[in-house]
Amino acid sequence: MSPPAAPAAAARQALEPPPLLPAGITDRQINDSLLDHVWNPKRGWLTLFAIALGGTGLLVMGLGVTLARGIGMWGNNVPVGWAYDIINFVWWIGIGHAGTLISAILLLFQQKWRTSINRFAEAMTIFAVIQAALFPLFHTGRPWFAVYWLFPYPSNLGIWPNFTSPLIWDVFAVSTYFTVSLLFWYLGLIPDLAALRDASTSRVQRIAYGIFALGWRGSARHWHHYRIGYLLLAGLSTPLVLSVHSIVSFDFAVSQLPGWHTTIFPPYFVAGAVFSGFAMVMTLMVPARKYLGFEHVVTERHLETMNKVMLVTGMMVSYGYLMEHFIAWYSGNPYEKFVILNRATGPYRWVYYAMIFCNVLVPQTFWWKRARTSIPWMFAAALLVNVGMWTERFIIIVTSLHRDFLPSSWGMYFPTWVDWSIFLGTLSFFSLLFLLFLRFVPAVAVTEVKELRHELAHEAHAGGGHR
Amino acid sequence: MSARTRWVLARFGEAEPLLAAARTLRQAGHPSLDIHSPFPLPGTDEALGLSRSRVPLMALCGGLAGVGTAIAMQIWMNAVDYPLNVGTRFLSGKPNMVPVMFELGVLLSSFAIFFGMMGLWGFPRPHHPVFEVEAFRSASVDALWLSAEVKAEDAERVAQALRGSGALEVEIAPEVEA
Repeated sequence: MSPPAAPAAAARQALEPPPLLPAGITDRQINDSLLDHVWNPKRGWLTLFAIALGGTGLLVMGLGVTLARGIGMWGNNVPVGWAYDIINFVWWIGIGHAGTLISAILLLFQQKWRTSINRFAEAMTIFAVIQAALFPLFHTGRPWFAVYWLFPYPSNLGIWPNFTSPLIWDVFAVSTYFTVSLLFWYLGLIPDLAALRDASTSRVQRIAYGIFALGWRGSARHWHHYRIGYLLLAGLSTPLVLSVHSIVSFDFAVSQLPGWHTTIFPPYFVAGAVFSGFAMVMTLMVPARKYLGFEHVVTERHLETMNKVMLVTGMMVSYGYLMEHFIAWYSGNPYEKFVILNRATGPYRWVYYAMIFCNVLVPQTFWWKRARTSIPWMFAAALLVNVGMWTERFIIIVTSLHRDFLPSSWGMYFPTWVDWSIFLGTLSFFSLLFLLFLRFVPAVAVTEVKELRHELAHEAHAGGGHR
Repeated sequence: MSARTRWVLARFGEAEPLLAAARTLRQAGHPSLDIHSPFPLPGTDEALGLSRSRVPLMALCGGLAGVGTAIAMQIWMNAVDYPLNVGTRFLSGKPNMVPVMFELGVLLSSFAIFFGMMGLWGFPRPHHPVFEVEAFRSASVDALWLSAEVKAEDAERVAQALRGSGALEVEIAPEVEA
């Protein structure tokens, strides 16, 4: 290769993306700046915590009323037998998918920008799955019996779960997903907990973090197994993410109901899950990076890349909508056609148009660099996508059920105050867990950022190299 | 009980002299060496002569155990112990066994990876003689350390050798009650 001419080099420099880490930062500075939020709680943390705690009271009240008076307190009834419980379940579990996607898939693809956001996204996954799990658990009405309804437990009734049912697959998929996500998160956290232990100033902190660090000494013998173990967990988690939301979609696709009985559901649900998960990461990350002072590790480049992912997954979701409409027409099935028509012109049409606006049109703005780099807009767009993905689940579940084959059995669904308080309560409970996470655990994977710094330094040393 | 041992710790500024010192010590007949770094350091496996990790094998065994359990469980529960006849379809060996097979395979494989590593590391082990050295706390922050467990009478000699090989700081961990 001939050496590049000066103008070409200048042009290349202009195309070079901004760096992932500020130049000249040291490991000690990374350590101090990223752990600072654990040692010195940010202003207003207690206020936010109190608000979230108050909101969690709504959840306790909603669930308490449900347990005391029964699930008749919810708005779902024939013909809409599934409503807020499963809408919120699918919504939360979808949000819970970005964590593992960011962590595992981007790790396998060696995307270096992942290191600044993976811890954050993994924590979000775990907290979102906790919210999701509340709904199927409480929709049983008597959760204390759910153990032998759901899990193969040798009870003296002598019966077993029906393994031909997607609902039982769901139990296995969601509990596996939660467990594996937790192990993956904790494994990544161990070296950072050791860093916290060693950077602590008080004896109590040292002992507390020392217990959770399990005795990590950063030894080569630790890293030896850790590297391969972490990679293998990522490799297992990647198909797991895809399987979980596919199985969630089977809850619908395996039934005979028009609007549910389609083959596109598994990939369409997975794309929607990733889309909503990324939106939730943006919703949390944009304020949190400012609040915690993480602008140097979560740079504008990270945010822009995330917006590109939102654009791509948004278009996958749009393609899903397009195919749903096309197949409804192409199948020639009058019931399928009616479902789609009813979504666009029936009594829930405003929810449908909100969905199209939020999920199809809003992400299209990310074709423009100005939109991708505007902090207020990306925050607003992320919020809108969260709303849009919720309305999508509402559309799929409620509009398909409320008018099926027989007009005499049509009906309407409206949520009750108990439905609303449980839903808003889970939002608060999620925030509560997240605030605790921001208070006690490093929100960015400190160890991985240090490793990234060394890799970048090594590459720069080896001759410029691309990043 | 074996002879009394002491831990010698040496801090290095760069990876190369650290790895070289580890190789030299290993050739001199000190097998209990270790390198401590805040992030995985390339070249340590070779310098310490570590053989391939057994974690992938554990993962495979866990995965196979999970899949096997899922097959046996579904056949026994839905076809043998309480045959579930849905529209005269086959009682077992159906594609609908796959989701639970996959999920249990992943679950047990992940357990094997996580708890297998805990076993290999001997975790949880909140205390270790190297933690007696206050300066060693930088090992998880920004410093590279070499540790050697040697016979008590050799400790001074090894420490001297490490000082000669470019270590910035060498300490011998105080003895603790075993």
